Amino acid sequence: MSTALPVRRLVRRRDCLVAGVAGGLADHLGWPVLVVRLAFAATALLGGAGVLLYAWLWALTPWAEPGEPGASRMAGASDAGASGSGRVVRRAPVAIVLTSLSVVAALVAIVLATTRPSADATEWIPATALAVLAAVGAGAWVGFIDRTDPERGPRVELPVRIVLTVVLLVLAGALMLGAARVQPVTALVAALVVLIGIALVYAPAFVRLWRDLTDERVRRIRDEQRSEMAAHLHDSVLQTLALIQNRAGASSDAGRLARAQERELRSWLHDGDASADSDLATDLRDFAAALELDYAVRIEVVAVGMSEERASGELAAAAREAMLNAARHAGGDVTVYLEGSPRAVDVYVRDRGAGFDPAEVPQDRLGVRESIIGRMRRAGGSATVARGAGGEGTEVHLRYETEAPRG
Amino acid sequence: MADERARLRVVVVDDHSIFRSGLRADLDASIDVVGEASDVGSAIEVVLRERPDVVLLDVHLPGGADASLAGGAEVLRRAASEVPSTRFLALSVSDKAEDVVGVIRAGARGYITKGASGDEVSRAVHAVASGDAVFSPRLAGFVLDAFGAAGGEVAAADDELDRLSGREQEVMRLIARGYAYKEVAATLFISTKTVETHVSSVLRKLQLSSRHELTAWATARRLL
Repeated sequence: MSTALPVRRLVRRRDCLVAGVAGGLADHLGWPVLVVRLAFAATALLGGAGVLLYAWLWALTPWAEPGEPGASRMAGASDAGASGSGRVVRRAPVAIVLTSLSVVAALVAIVLATTRPSADATEWIPATALAVLAAVGAGAWVGFIDRTDPERGPRVELPVRIVLTVVLLVLAGALMLGAARVQPVTALVAALVVLIGIALVYAPAFVRLWRDLTDERVRRIRDEQRSEMAAHLHDSVLQTLALIQNRAGASSDAGRLARAQERELRSWLHDGDASADSDLATDLRDFAAALELDYAVRIEVVAVGMSEERASGELAAAAREAMLNAARHAGGDVTVYLEGSPRAVDVYVRDRGAGFDPAEVPQDRLGVRESIIGRMRRAGGSATVARGAGGEGTEVHLRYETEAPRG
Repeated sequence: MADERARLRVVVVDDHSIFRSGLRADLDASIDVVGEASDVGSAIEVVLRERPDVVLLDVHLPGGADASLAGGAEVLRRAASEVPSTRFLALSVSDKAEDVVGVIRAGARGYITKGASGDEVSRAVHAVASGDAVFSPRLAGFVLDAFGAAGGEVAAADDELDRLSGREQEVMRLIARGYAYKEVAATLFISTKTVETHVSSVLRKLQLSSRHELTAWATARRLL
């Protein structure tokens, strides 16, 4: 590495002033950035060659890869931090500069067009053109480029558009009132161009809206294909798994394995509709699936309402303990019902086993007393263990009052 | 117990012959399977010909003309009005909300999952035949969710379609907690018949309500 001449790929710096072209070229050539910038400025005066070269490099040069060795090392001490990360940081407020330029040009044009209207005065035409071009540039910049920058995009977008709209409207009005009296056709065309400029300021927003709609449609089509596949699998694999469970009996080994497979396949098919973030219901469902593999039990988890309760809480631990008890001692069909209202979360675990009387449980058995009732009491909730309706099985009710929402 | 009840004529509609024969063997003696069908077209034909008491209807069926509708719902829409005395009980491996709500709104009197045992299915068939609705815990939970019960929405009048009355919510909660109808009745100190009335009324709301959450599933797929 030290013997070979270090040739650096031409890439644009992510921590840049405008587009990273000058900085990237400087890194590539090993020149100071200032020299490159001056060279661009000088050649820009030679019939715009510098501008063309700049645009060409801008369009064709890729961004530096995050953490690319050449990019961050050559970027110098001041830039080393940001150029390693993936985000593009533009230090120059290009949209605001362009907006200001447009405002100044428009003011000049207004003054020229209204104070000295004469048949051969044409100085207001280049000023108007500059105002419109700068406005369109600023609109495109906020709409396409700054948009992705969370620190600048949304905050700057609306003010820039409003300022540009007002200024260009005033300019169009001034042209109609001032220059139109002496040069009606030219002024009319110019005013029309100014109005088109206003429309172009908003064009990026419409382009983005169109893109969003297209993306949305693509996503919908993908979802449809997915649910179509889900329907096919319902017709074949899931049916067979259900049949196996049915024929083998819910608590047999084959039945439990089939049920576990069914759950796995089902969660894979439907993972699009459930959030990845694990809430209480999701957690208890997973736990139920695990229990079904280990015990001869069939657990149905029904969740209602929006639960803010996290899976890591005491309530979840107590609920898991109750489910484990039901699976271990009762087996058969177990129903877990979960209801989250804005004020409280309720969990019911109902089994249809032999049932037991909490008062008759020996003192040394800590399962129910400590893991469920004690735990809920310590967490500020409540737990009751009672015989199920009709004297069949056991029902555990856990309740946790959520605090009033803090301001 | 089965002998006291009237014999029921049942048609089984499912696209898997293995499942049909399995179900046929599992159903108890009071139930006669008078016909079977494996797709939308043959299901409609058999149902119209046999005019059974109960149709056990798979939600996902091949051969539907309308791709946006699950096959089972299409059978219901096209056949149910021709045979007013026939009740439909939906049977599916799916517990997705849009499948459940689709087939219930199309007119099914109940919904059970295919994991249910032969006894459970037989009991559900008898319940549906006598005019009751059959709710699984999951369907009850779904109803509570869809009608905003957890958020504290309670119907002011009994005939309000978009919300559940307080009593209906209690019944649905107990069913969601895994209670059988007679256990619900014992817990609430009402008769089993009253429980059945409440469940039927919830089913009617589920079928007729224009509540946004209920219709959203049906329309979401066709928005664009």
